[in-house]
Amino acid sequence: MARFHPLKVTDVRRETRDAVVVTLAPSDEHRELFDFTQGQYLTFRRDFDGEELRRSYSICAGKDEGALRVGIKRVDGGAFSTWANENLQPGDEIEAMPPMGRFSTALDPDAARTYLGFAAGSGITPVLSIIKTVLAREPKSRFTLVYANRQINSIMFREELEDLKNLYLGRFAVMHILETEGQEIDLFTGRIDAEKMAGLFKHWIEAEGVDTAFICGPEPMMLTVAQGLRDHGLGDEQIKFELFASSQPGRAKAKAVSRDAVEPGSGTEATVTLDGATRNFQMPRQGETILDAAIANSMDAPYSCKAGVCSTCRCKVLEGEVEMAVNHALEDYEVRAGYVLSCQAYPLSERVVVTYDE
Amino acid sequence: MTETMNIEDYLAKGGVLTAPGNAPARYRGELMRLMSSFVDSELAGSAGFANAINFAPGIKERIAASRITLEKADHAGRVLEVMADFGTDMARYQAQHQWDARVARDADLGTTRQSGDMRLSVLHYPITGWTDAVVMNVLQGLATDVQMTELTRVSYGPLAEVFRQIAPREKRHAELGLEGLERIVATEAGKREAVKAIAYWRPRVAAGFGMAHSGRFETLKKFGLRHATNEDLLARWQNLTGGHLAALGL
Repeated sequence: MARFHPLKVTDVRRETRDAVVVTLAPSDEHRELFDFTQGQYLTFRRDFDGEELRRSYSICAGKDEGALRVGIKRVDGGAFSTWANENLQPGDEIEAMPPMGRFSTALDPDAARTYLGFAAGSGITPVLSIIKTVLAREPKSRFTLVYANRQINSIMFREELEDLKNLYLGRFAVMHILETEGQEIDLFTGRIDAEKMAGLFKHWIEAEGVDTAFICGPEPMMLTVAQGLRDHGLGDEQIKFELFASSQPGRAKAKAVSRDAVEPGSGTEATVTLDGATRNFQMPRQGETILDAAIANSMDAPYSCKAGVCSTCRCKVLEGEVEMAVNHALEDYEVRAGYVLSCQAYPLSERVVVTYDE
Repeated sequence: MTETMNIEDYLAKGGVLTAPGNAPARYRGELMRLMSSFVDSELAGSAGFANAINFAPGIKERIAASRITLEKADHAGRVLEVMADFGTDMARYQAQHQWDARVARDADLGTTRQSGDMRLSVLHYPITGWTDAVVMNVLQGLATDVQMTELTRVSYGPLAEVFRQIAPREKRHAELGLEGLERIVATEAGKREAVKAIAYWRPRVAAGFGMAHSGRFETLKKFGLRHATNEDLLARWQNLTGGHLAALGL
């Protein structure tokens, strides 16, 4: 399983009024783990007043920049993004999981491909990583970017995109669509909707010959753009999606109950058998499942979905009483036989004995 | 362009999710279940077909059976990698069930799955000989072909992509089966044996399409994890199978 490792913040650059670009360096022993593919993201974790928050941000660096860099745009009320924008400084350490995500296609230095990118707001970050990598590593390929923002001063990486245009003359084009600012060409003002997609394909973009299109932005924009691409002949296998970072359901965990804080009479004496080995430990009667308690006590208990559906974490209650919050996996006869989904099981009695081996 | 929408509405409108972090809990659960079912079925299918290699009458058939054994295991591995993004321990997962375990030939499992093993019920039955293996592979292969039309458009983007890579190879497995069956029915004795095997496997493969009017379907449809109903898929399979078997005089 992926684990968190510390990254050193080496640079924090203000990109727009409410976005920063953070450069990070892994320690030498983790350097290989953090070798990324263009379009991937990093998941960070940090404690906010005892509550752990996890947030994912896309890498905006290209493969050949030799740096790990993410763009973090401040979201209203977002604890993590606000903290990153206001408090993060060079020299700080932050914990991250190795890069994840499959928002990319395999590169071929001999290929002459045509790529399209659609990005809205901070959705530019992974697309920028792809653009830089593709232009550098596929010298015959071209990339056209359609980039939607509210107004000029909220455009992230505006200068960097201009530089790329000059560096890769004739191979890279950008169209800025601005919601609230009038431009010379009407088509480039407003939001991306079906009509605008049709206009872009009519006057500015040749749909035929496009190999792959990348889309990253909020949900309504992704739906509109994907539909527009399909209407103009692109197949599902040619469209790559990345939902952007703000679309993450709240990941704040239920408050962890400290083992030390278990009051007499309110805890449970748990006995868990796994792979022939049995362990005894104290666990609270609220706030922690049998699975989490077993894992917290260094047992390698099996689990997968943690949502009460897949039944990977099934165990059998031999003594005591437990209650399942959710059960979408076990049949009635299994429950009657004493089986529970340990990811959903909270102890009710002073003592429970369960086994994963039956 | 920064407005967002409720993730359930997005999915209901055909939206695509791209990372474990996007997935609401219930969606995640249903997705894991779908992936588990596929991985377990491929591993069990591969394990079952491994025996068929030694039933093969000739080198060509031996190679076909080996290829199916190999590729089904490979497909399981590819989907398991997507599960790993959600925290599944791959090493532990692939060892959690005995994939070559089979029930008695005359057991009746209906559509129910066996304890934690999520393989399709048809993959619990033992294969008894070469003709039996070929017929099972044709019928189940055509069923997989139909199921792939659903799987290649699931709303979890990284998984749909894996299924799009897998689909043409699974299709080839069914074609290999049809080629084998054509050689079998060239003799009267072979034909008689094939008819018997079809009678055995047909209802068991059909059971794999699940129950009609499944209550789970509406949830899965809302999530973009399913599009056509069990009944529709079953009808398409019956049609497809009927056509292929009729062409072989079966």
